[in-house]
Amino acid sequence: MARNPIKDSIAFVGVGSTGFFRDAHARSRLDLALEASVKAIQDAGLTKQDIDGVVGTAPQAHLIAASLGLPEVTHHSNQPMPLVFAVTDAINAVYSGAADAILIFHALYRAPAISRAAARDPFRRGLGFGGSPAPAKTRLDPERLSAEGYAAWASRYFYEYGAGREVLGRIAINERTNALQNPLAAMRTPLTMEDYLSARMVRDPLCLLDMDVPVDGADAFVVTTAERARDLPQKPVLIHAATNGLTAHNAEESTDGLHHHGQHVVIKSLREKSDIWIPDVDVYFPYDGFTIITLQWIENTGWCKPGEGQDFIEDNWDEASNRILIDGRIPVNTHGGNHSEGGTQGSGHIREAILQLRGTAGERQVRDARTAFLTPGGMFFNAQGLVLRTD
Amino acid sequence: MNTTISDKELLDAFPDTLIDHDNKEFYRGWLQHRLLLNRCVDCGHWHHPPGPMCPECWSRNVQPTEVSGTGRIYLLTKLHQGPPAPDVDYGQPHPVATVELSEQEGLRFTSTMINCALDRLVVGMPVRLNWIERWRAPYPVFEPAPRETE
Repeated sequence: MARNPIKDSIAFVGVGSTGFFRDAHARSRLDLALEASVKAIQDAGLTKQDIDGVVGTAPQAHLIAASLGLPEVTHHSNQPMPLVFAVTDAINAVYSGAADAILIFHALYRAPAISRAAARDPFRRGLGFGGSPAPAKTRLDPERLSAEGYAAWASRYFYEYGAGREVLGRIAINERTNALQNPLAAMRTPLTMEDYLSARMVRDPLCLLDMDVPVDGADAFVVTTAERARDLPQKPVLIHAATNGLTAHNAEESTDGLHHHGQHVVIKSLREKSDIWIPDVDVYFPYDGFTIITLQWIENTGWCKPGEGQDFIEDNWDEASNRILIDGRIPVNTHGGNHSEGGTQGSGHIREAILQLRGTAGERQVRDARTAFLTPGGMFFNAQGLVLRTD
Repeated sequence: MNTTISDKELLDAFPDTLIDHDNKEFYRGWLQHRLLLNRCVDCGHWHHPPGPMCPECWSRNVQPTEVSGTGRIYLLTKLHQGPPAPDVDYGQPHPVATVELSEQEGLRFTSTMINCALDRLVVGMPVRLNWIERWRAPYPVFEPAPRETE
């Protein structure tokens, strides 16, 4: 049995976001990260004197601390994406006493190589993925499997289970429908199955609409002890369980198979740590960097059996609202996810879950939402799980 | 075994590739049209990409060993856009196939497919190793296996 002594001990008490956009704003990645960070700290009712920990993806945590002028910091680190790596590090640091109130930050910045608009910005020259400096020139063969691995595994899925592309199209449409009600979202025009099926193929069998959308923007959060959270202005959102999942064969080409990868490790671990399980969740956030990831999460989490994702999504499709509503009740990625809010590597999913559990998600609000089930990350080396709740 | 190709010749042949002590024999093999993957001398387990230790039994006695090059396509994608290469123009989709090699379950190698119409390409297809030139050095690729070896 997996231990979970930290259960419900740490809370999200602050959240801030810049919103996400695809048009070129003359702003730096640091600028975006600081805007979200200041908003999150103020949302928590705290000041710079209160923040003694900084954890995030990029830029460097010490640069964020210096830019915010945090007087004394006792825990800081940078973590890979998606954001649950940072969340896990931050909550463990609070739980251990390494720090008391930790800022978690994540900034997205389109690189010239993945965005024409970003390529026109002369002040992005030399930037690589996420806005970090591009690595030195090395040989790059078209056959290396990086993000392409998801297209390769999608064809494997179709081979093993015989599904068609429409199931992936439904996932993309669900995200867009939800994004229409999210003022922070980059993509806010309705999407039809015809749009999906006629979209430009990029990495067969995945088309442009199977992939997350590159954006600029940032999210930030503040975590502290559940005890201290009771004295702060926002309704505390408790971290009930958090985990990451990795198998021995975790590279794209050598992953064991659809029956055994990072997602299976996450679900086994969460299942042992969490008192909350499907379908007792109120809002559900399966990751969606590529649509095939979402389909895999739905199956591997146990909403249906392996290979039955297509039937499950069709059976739980709400025609009236043009989106997935599991059991007519549980919406999926209410903010529009990586496809339609913007490719946030999980920060958007976590922010939206917090807003839903606070009851402040506006038009998207799920009535009386008290539990959120999140599975950020893909299939290979970054599968993650996070269960949140309120009292 | 590969003493005919010096370290200097190897590094000169792959100027933009990060060649280190773990993968140098793998790339030296390319220059002789031999696909050498690491195999543990003690337990017989293959692994790829090349590492200094057998992940199965932790033996350091691993040996770059030539594979037959036969197998079946396990993963497949066709790129409509991607990184530039001299032999790839993306005018038609560029196939990328991960092949499960016949030596061991789960031992896979990824490259492109040649000598095969795009619409014939499917997961499960039997293939064999071949070589092309890319950036003035040999590059391992796959092609459909002759019917008699299927």
